[in-house]
Amino acid sequence: MNGPMVAFACLAGLTLYSAWRVATAPQVTHAALFLAATFAGVAGLFFLLQADFLAAVQLLLYAGAVMTVVIFAIMLSEMREVESDARGWRSLLLSPRLGIVPLVGGVGLAAILLSAYHRAAPSWPLSPLPAAPDSTRFIAHALFHAYALPFEVASVLLLAAMIGAIILTRTEGGAKG
Amino acid sequence: MNIYLAALLKVVGVLAFVLGNAFILIWAERKISGYMQRRYGPLRVGGPAGLLQSAADILKLMAKEDFVPGGADLWLWWLAPAVALVPAVLVYLVLPIGRSFVLQNLSIGLVFFASVTSFTLIGIFMAGWGSNNKYSLLGAMRAGAQLFSYEIPLILSTIGVVMLTGSLTLQRIVAAQANVWFVVPQIVGFLVFYVASLAELNRTPFDLAEAESELIAGYFTEYSGIRWAMFAVAEYSNLFTTSALAVTLFLGGWRPLPLLAFIPGWVWFVLKTYVLVFVGIWIRWTLPRVRIDQLMDLGWKFLFPVSVANVLVTALVLAVR
Repeated sequence: MNGPMVAFACLAGLTLYSAWRVATAPQVTHAALFLAATFAGVAGLFFLLQADFLAAVQLLLYAGAVMTVVIFAIMLSEMREVESDARGWRSLLLSPRLGIVPLVGGVGLAAILLSAYHRAAPSWPLSPLPAAPDSTRFIAHALFHAYALPFEVASVLLLAAMIGAIILTRTEGGAKG
Repeated sequence: MNIYLAALLKVVGVLAFVLGNAFILIWAERKISGYMQRRYGPLRVGGPAGLLQSAADILKLMAKEDFVPGGADLWLWWLAPAVALVPAVLVYLVLPIGRSFVLQNLSIGLVFFASVTSFTLIGIFMAGWGSNNKYSLLGAMRAGAQLFSYEIPLILSTIGVVMLTGSLTLQRIVAAQANVWFVVPQIVGFLVFYVASLAELNRTPFDLAEAESELIAGYFTEYSGIRWAMFAVAEYSNLFTTSALAVTLFLGGWRPLPLLAFIPGWVWFVLKTYVLVFVGIWIRWTLPRVRIDQLMDLGWKFLFPVSVANVLVTALVLAVR
């Protein structure tokens, strides 16, 4: 075990555990904070891969901005602890914590991923590619040259979503004050 | 040297500086407020030059009971001061203190600074929510709205500097100011940056998140003793680092004034930073607190358009030149 391996193990553990807790936390506030921990863990993994710009943007946009919006959404909605209304066999089947369906689904998904990894791994280049010396420039070039059109389409999509949200939440006759 | 040992030494060094900085700034804030408002207490108490008062404060805070409010969300309540302190310590990593004195010259220094400081909000929210107190929660929500609103002009106002330099590395930004400090071509950016950074720091006139007359102490109402001290240390450390970033981006970083180049760079860096810190303290004890709607108006209707216009004008000038 060397330093990066230990760091990877810690970050992967943090990411997986908090992702699991996002689904199982009974309080929506806790779920939101675990989501932030998941984002931070993923940012750490990006750092470990020397994708420093991606890591910083992950923290800035997801752990910073998106989390703020999530927290405000929670505060503006009616809060109560989620009590599972499913009892008996339904809880046994569907409960995210100990239900059979989520367990089988999760284990099955992990098995598929691992088997795909084992099948594909021999054909992967073993010598790691040199990390881009200036990943910011590289990403900017990719975004604004090769993928400029998809980038613009995505921004139009986000704009449409924003306008849609405003129309959906607007009260009749316009909000007061 | 072993990289782990080096990392440990850096962390210990930064922590020692953070604590010393808090000690100095608490003393300075008392003294300056005392002189500005003719407060008798801070001008007379505390031994030689009042320095012992800070020491007494530290002893008091360490000895105080670590009070846990009833019905607190324990995990969040315990973790919140640490989550608020960690980003405050992490940003020292990229500050260019001298010509070849920076802990880690990250190529994305500026983005790193912005992204790490944006994490402070999570600590504040954890404190507000975990305390199980409506004043704490209201303070945390105000802090959230405020940090979120002012982060946008704060980041946009630095874009002009990045465009002039063509780099996000803080050392290169300082190197690019060899002829003229960026405060001259980017005066608008500097003013927006400074106002927005005062708001990010939750200091008067923007201290709505802890407005005493309305919210007792905002998100750390329920904290006492060493946990409260962690929040206070983080705030004073943020005051230093934000001023240091302003110095780096706009005031030439470690570059000396003409004719005084024999004084080493790190002295200039620290000196300029503490001058800006003094301006921050000066503003705090001079201006009254703004109302929440004035705060939002200033952020969204004034600073945001001005910073966007600054980016556009900078781009135009660079394109024409």
